[in-house]
This record gives sequence, C-alpha cells and structure tokens, in this order.
Amino acid sequence: MNTIANVLRNRSNLKLNLTQITRLSSNVSEEKIVIPKAIPRGPTDILRALESTVSRDPTATHYKYHDDPFLIPMSNMGKRTFAMAQEAGRKAAYWVREQHPDLFQHQEADPPIKPFFPKMVYSEDEVTEDTLKHVIDEVLIPDAKKIYKLMIEKGMEISKETQQALLDLLCFYNNEDTLSEEFIEERWFRNSAKEKVRKTWADGSLAEEIFISIENPDAAAYSAIIQGMAKHYQVNRAWQLFEEAQGKGLEVNTSTYNSIIRVTSFMKESYDLRWSFVNDILSLMNKAKTKPNLGTLNACLEIVSTMGQSKTAKSYALKLLKEFKSLGIEPSLASWYHVLMTYCKERGPVSTILNDILPHIENKEHTIRDIKDTFFFVTAMDICRNHLHDKDLAQRVNKLLHFGNNYNLIGDSYKESIYYRHYFIVLCETEPLDEFMENIYNKLVPHIYVPEPGVIAEVLKNIDMNSAVEYLPKIWSDMLIFDHTGRENLLNMVMNIMINHKPDESSELNDKFSKIAWGIWSKIENQNENRIQKLAFTGEMLGNIMIMVLRNNDFEKAFEVMQKLDKGMHSVVGVPKLDALSMFMDHCIKEKLPTTAIQCIQYLTDSGFPEAEDFAIRLNKSLTLDETHLGRLGKIVGEQFLQKKM
Amino acid sequence: MANIQFVVRSLSNAKKSLKPNYCMLQRLYCSKSDKPEDEEAQKNKTNDEAIKKLNSLLRQMVESDTKVKLDLAKPGNKKALRQEAGTKSIKNEPVEKTIVKAVKNVAESMGGNVKQTESELLSKLLNPVKEDLEKPAASLSDIVKGMKIDRETKSPVSVSRADQVKQLLDKTRHQSNGPRGAPRQRRPVKHEVAVHSEPIDLFGEEPLGIFTSPLETYQEKENSMWTTLEDRELRLAVTQPPSNYFQEMILWTEQGKLWKFPIDNEQGMEEENNVYFADHVFMERHLEPWCPHKGPVRHFMELVCVGLSKNPYMTVKEKTDHIEWYKNYFEDKMKLLKEIGAVASDTKIPQKQIDA
Repeated sequence: MNTIANVLRNRSNLKLNLTQITRLSSNVSEEKIVIPKAIPRGPTDILRALESTVSRDPTATHYKYHDDPFLIPMSNMGKRTFAMAQEAGRKAAYWVREQHPDLFQHQEADPPIKPFFPKMVYSEDEVTEDTLKHVIDEVLIPDAKKIYKLMIEKGMEISKETQQALLDLLCFYNNEDTLSEEFIEERWFRNSAKEKVRKTWADGSLAEEIFISIENPDAAAYSAIIQGMAKHYQVNRAWQLFEEAQGKGLEVNTSTYNSIIRVTSFMKESYDLRWSFVNDILSLMNKAKTKPNLGTLNACLEIVSTMGQSKTAKSYALKLLKEFKSLGIEPSLASWYHVLMTYCKERGPVSTILNDILPHIENKEHTIRDIKDTFFFVTAMDICRNHLHDKDLAQRVNKLLHFGNNYNLIGDSYKESIYYRHYFIVLCETEPLDEFMENIYNKLVPHIYVPEPGVIAEVLKNIDMNSAVEYLPKIWSDMLIFDHTGRENLLNMVMNIMINHKPDESSELNDKFSKIAWGIWSKIENQNENRIQKLAFTGEMLGNIMIMVLRNNDFEKAFEVMQKLDKGMHSVVGVPKLDALSMFMDHCIKEKLPTTAIQCIQYLTDSGFPEAEDFAIRLNKSLTLDETHLGRLGKIVGEQFLQKKM
Repeated sequence: MANIQFVVRSLSNAKKSLKPNYCMLQRLYCSKSDKPEDEEAQKNKTNDEAIKKLNSLLRQMVESDTKVKLDLAKPGNKKALRQEAGTKSIKNEPVEKTIVKAVKNVAESMGGNVKQTESELLSKLLNPVKEDLEKPAASLSDIVKGMKIDRETKSPVSVSRADQVKQLLDKTRHQSNGPRGAPRQRRPVKHEVAVHSEPIDLFGEEPLGIFTSPLETYQEKENSMWTTLEDRELRLAVTQPPSNYFQEMILWTEQGKLWKFPIDNEQGMEEENNVYFADHVFMERHLEPWCPHKGPVRHFMELVCVGLSKNPYMTVKEKTDHIEWYKNYFEDKMKLLKEIGAVASDTKIPQKQIDA
C-alpha cells in the first residue's frame, strides 16, 4: 500500500516538475524529456556513497582505537599493541566458540547468519563430496585435508573436478592453514617485507600424494603442482615437472609459465642466461598458443629488474612493455614497480624515469591487479627521496595515492610507515621549514604517522640550521609522547640547539627551554633501574642543563645540578664547559651565597681548571667574605690569592 | 733487558708484509759482512742510522701496542686482487728492481723523511764499503748525544704519547676502512639530475617480437580454483582495517553479517519471492472441493483460513498441508458429525487431495 502511495506521490511530483519545465521552456521549441533508466544498485552502494563523504580527519585517531584520551596510542609500538590486543580479543572469542559450540545453539537472526555459526565438526558418517566442495570453497584447509582422508578411508569416489580443486587449494597454500579472512588487523600489521625467499615447499605433502595418486595427470594437475612448487621456491622439482609435462605434450596454463619465469633467477646465474631463458619460455608459450597476461609481463619485468644496472636490462624492460602493449595488455602498478627497480639502482646512475611513468598513471583510480601492486607507492616515494630528492615528484606521488580509493594500494602498516618516512624526510629536506611544519608535520603527526628517531633527528637538524627554535618545545613534547627520549644523540641534539640559539632575555622561550632541560635532567635522573641501556650524565650535558636553567634564573635547580657534579665526580664522565660554571658563579654572587660559590671553586680546582683562581678573585671582589670563607678559599687556591686581592 | 725483549717481540709482531723486506736487507748485510773490513763498519753504524733504527723500533713498539689487527675474512676487492695477480705474473724482474722496491717499503714503514731514508739506504746498499770507510766509527756516547739532538728536533718519538696513539688510531681506522671502505663509500648525492634527464618513451622501444599474432588467437587456460584463490589474495591485500563506521558496515555486509541495503523485509526469503501473495492470502479456495457450504464446520474452516492468511511464518505448502490435515480429520469424524447434525447427512467429502 505504501509503495503505491509512493508511486502516486512520485507521479504527482513528476507532473509538477513537468508543468514547471514546460513553463520554463515554453520559448524553446519542443524539448524531449529523457527519463534516465534505473541503475541497478548493489547492497553496499548506498554505504559506499555515504562513506565517500567522510574523509580522514588527521586530528583524530584511527577509527579502530577508542576515542578516549587515555586509550589513544601515540607511538608506533602503542598503535601496534593496541590493535593487536583488540585482535587477540577477537581471537579469544573465536576460540571460545570453537571450544564450546553447545553454548551457541541459539539463533538470534532470521535469516540466520552463517559466519556466526559454530565451526562444523566432520565425522566419518557425514562426509560427502558436497561437504568437501563446500570446505574447499570456504578455504578451510585443515578441514579439507581431514575430509579428503576420511573419504579415502571409506573408499568413496571423488570426482575429478573436486580433486583438482583440492589440489589447487593445497598447492596454493603449501598445505598449510592460512590466516582467516576475519583477522584484518593481524594481516595489516604482519610484516610482509620479512617474508623469506627460500624453499618453503613441504616435500612429500598431501598435495604431492594427490598428484601421484592421479593416474595420467592432465595439464591442469601438472599446472597446479608446478605452480605450487614454484610459488614456494621448490625450484628444481618445479622445473623437472615442467619439462616432464612438456615431454608428454601437455599444455600447462598461463600462470604456470608465469611462475616458472618468476623463479628464473634461482635457476640461471648470469644475466644473459636469465634473459635467454625468459625468451625461451615466452617462445614456448607462443608455440603452445597460450594466452599471455599481465602476470607474464610482470614476471618478466621482475626478472629484468634482477639483472643489474646494465643498459641492456633497461632496454629489455622497455621492449617487454612495448610487446605487451601491442598485445593490448596494460601494465599495472606492479609493472611500473619493476621498471623503477630496473632503472633506479642504489648505486647506479640517476634516472628520472618516474617522471615518465607518472603521466601514465596519474589522476586515475587503480584497482589491484597483481599482488605486487602494493609495492609501487612505497618504492616510488623511496626513489623520490633517496634517488631524485624531488619534492614535486613526491607531492605528485602522494596526490596519486590519495586519489579515489588508491590508498588501499598502500599495502600494510609496515609499508605505510616507510612510505611516510620517505615522504616526511624528502619534504623536510626540501621544503622551507615553516611550510613543512605547518602543512606536513602538524597534519601527519601523530595520528597518521609517528616519526622514528632518525626522522626526528632530521627535523631537529633542520631546526638547528634555520634557527627556528620556536618549534623546539613542540618537537620536544612530541618526543616525550613518542618515547624517543631514551636516545642520547637526540637529547644531545636538543641540548645543543638550545645552547647555540640563545633566545632574548625577555623571551618566554627561556622558560620553555629551562623546562625541556629539566625534563632531560629528570629523565636521566629517574630512569628505570632495570633498563639495559642506561643513559649516563656527562659533565658537558650537566653544564648545558645548568646554563638552560640559569638562563631562566632558576638558581635552585642549578644548585641541584652543581651538587650532582660535585658529588658524582666519579660517575659523571667529563667536565662541564667553563661558561656554565662561570654563569653559576655569577648567580651565586647575585644570590649572595659564598658557601656555594666556594664549593664551585673547589670543584673547579678538583677538575683541574686553571681558571679557579680567577673565580676566587672575582668572588672576593664582589662579595665581602668573612674569615671562614677566606680561610677556605685560601686552602683551595693557595695563600698567594690573598695577596692578589690586595 | 725486558725492554729489549719487548722491542724484539714488537718487531716480530710488526706488519707481516715488511718481514720479507727486512730479511732481504739482513741477507744483503750478512753477505757484505763476510768481508773482514766490513765487520767494523757493521758494528758501528753512523749516528743517524742507529737513531733512525731505534726511533723506528720505538715507533713500531707503539704501533704494535695499539694495533690489534684481527685477520677477519673480508670480501675481497676484486679489482685489487686482479691487479695483484697481474703484478705477480711479472715475476722475473731484475734483482736491482726488487731491492729498490724493498728499500722503498722499508723507508715508508719507517716514516719520517721517506725520500731521504730511501736514498740513504740505497747508497748504503750500493757502495757500503766506501761510505763506511769515510765515516768515523761512532761510539755509544755519540749515539746517545745524537738522540738528544733528535729529541730537540722533534722526532716522532718526542711527540707526546697520547698524540702518537691518536695518530696511530686514526691511521688504523683508515686502514681498516681501506680495502672495504672504498667501494662502500656512498656516492655524493647528485642534486643536478644529469644522467637520464631526457624523457624516456616508455612504449617507444622495439617489441620483442615473440607474440606476433593478436591476443584473440591465443587460448585462455587457467585452473579455476587457483584463479579464485589468487583473486581472494588480491582482495585481502587491499582489505584494510575499516577507517569509519560506513566502511565497517560495508565489510560486514560483504561478510554476510548485516542486512543488505536497501532494507527489505523479505531478505533471506528468496524462495518465497516466486510465490504470488494471493496464494498466501486467499485460502478459501482450498475449502471448495470438500467443505460443506454452510454449518459449523464451514464456519470453523473459514476461521482457520483467516488465521492462515495472516500467518507470515508459514509457507504456502505448510498452509495447504494444514488445511489438508483438517480435511482428513473431519473425514474420519464424518460419522459422528452426521449423527450430531453438524453436517447435512447427504454431504460427502471427496477423496481428492487439495491442490496447492
């Protein structure tokens, strides 16, 4: 009924519109109204439209963290820990559901939601080929293995298609269980860069058993096992089987050729041999009339990128691009990644090929077409920073990354943080500091990117160079939050900047600097006893702290530092600069504290400063000393000092 | 005595490469000392010579003190090796040349004025007799005096020990960096991009010429399961933790945990979509074949039909089955019904089943 009313209302609206339009276009002769056809919408289209209106707020934490000041992670370590803690909770829930399926028999939703069902347990009587098919489709590898074994024990017939699917599944995942689709965070934080390039293929596994059990294996079976072995770097046997299949005249599929090309560098040492091998495989494909695809192009380019920095490798890469272009195969981001790797070698000549690549991919939304597409952005930014030092290119790459949904191609958290590290440093080196702080630092830090200690050092260096000390308090507070204060080099850098760039007497920076210096003091003073790499005071550091607090006229703190210097003669390495002690002396005189001043002179003589005498004279001149003080001074610097006074 | 021992030890510790040179020199000296007139000369060397030697010994003492040379396996400098091999191949050099080379090495190892030391050593080697005869024999006191003078002129020994150590440390540091450090050194970053600055036409190169026929002529072959798994991996590679609630809802929708938009009350009831609503609502037509047209049974059954037509939880099949059940029930009880007059005595329930 409602729908009918709706339709009616729409109709009357339409009529209204029509009259309006006719009125408006009365002078225009006969305009045809074309009513657009209804566009079929998927279930997530509305959500996507809504989602596109929400952009990332750099001042807020990521959505996954609790929006509570106490629960906002501020360091890379914290981000990881918090997210993984959440994931651990999710895993615990899964575990409980698996251990006690009896507790989850109720059905809350109608229609029932399959992902909420307890895990199936398979017993001998229930297994059929359909269950096997089902678990294969759901990528449940341990279940698939179990069911297959049960079926073999019972002597059940398994159709060829199901067996092939199972073989594919086992070869693809190397007989191992894979991370469930549910655990997005774990996948996000997993360090993909550490994936080892070594033989991981499980020899004699179920996949091989199945392959052997097949009488007269066909091309599909050969394809599966060869691809599996090549994917997990069992290179020799993969090649053996490939030759066997060739010998039998079986036509393996495209991906198999691709996977063989991809492991070329494990079979052939020299660059020439590699290239001729790749050519041979491509010719074989052509002869067998097997359709090449993007994977073929990328595999070839990957091999070319391992061929050193010779000119020939570069021309091979271009030849490959042209060859596949004329076939109508467009390169993906992974292809460009390999081209970049070919052209921009760490120690090779500088190449600006990124300039030529960008126009082909700019202002486009890219979808993933190759698993290595996610390597493009981090590598491109690396080249912008280390190879070209070009901030404009860096900005262009960054713009491309934020175009449409391209951000999905950033890969994982590890790649993301490396990407931002490069981006950050290239801009820090090339942009004026003010702009950098305004547009980049304040925007990205800390929610999108937490600078590593090395990056902070770079920023500090820039501050020092530009004498932009007004940024120092902010950087220092960030350093405190990111827990970078345990690094001696950073502490020294901060100290030196404060010493070298003395603010005006009246500037409020004096107060801030004094606080920073005192922060460093208490950081070292109150560090955890059990820390392995403990920070130790050096005389110079203490002297600097003294100067900072004295510039803020905080004599009490300076006194404390002096006590530390005096008492800790043996634990403190080195001596402070004379400037610091001289400044301390001046303040002693100002505060009329002869005892402290004498203590300072004592320290000077103990540390072997020849200037101790001058200090004593200065003290004696500026303050009227009583007998005891004079006596002590005399003991310290010698009796002749008394004469000099006259 | 202990000092001398120490000197000897440190000498033997000195650079291995020097050893052959020393040996050669010694051999040369020895061969000369066979002659009687040389014996004296050998005993009493000139001041300079002795002092230099002592100095060099002292120096080497310090050197061997500081230099803890670990003979670690290092990746060899290929070029250097090749060069070495090249020089080795030219072995049959005249004796003079080897001597000159050896002397040069010794002079360099001694430090100080290298050229002078070299020429002195050479002249000594070439005509030892003449020189020795000309110079008067030096006594021990002379040597000592010479040492004093040497100190005044700031020989390397007189430099403070700390400085010496520092120098040596610097030197060793350089040395240890030497063979390896050279290739390791980072190129100075070139800011002006010079080498490949001309634009590269990415698709301008000649093609390989392997795949000559158009793409359509090639057959497409893939393992279907493998392809789906690859697609799954690709999908997961770009699945990131949701960054707002809408994204989370998208994720849940795709995982089948949420109702799909647009919200539809009949979600998950796809089978019912094929059933016309009239089949659900108008149930009376199922009564027509068997139910009496009036009377309490008809009244009851009409109420049952109203109830069923309003029940959203039953499928049409279940509803007709329900009516069927009543039909069978009344059939069984027909005798009784007739007796009590609930049904006219002439009615008969046909055996035909209701068709849905």
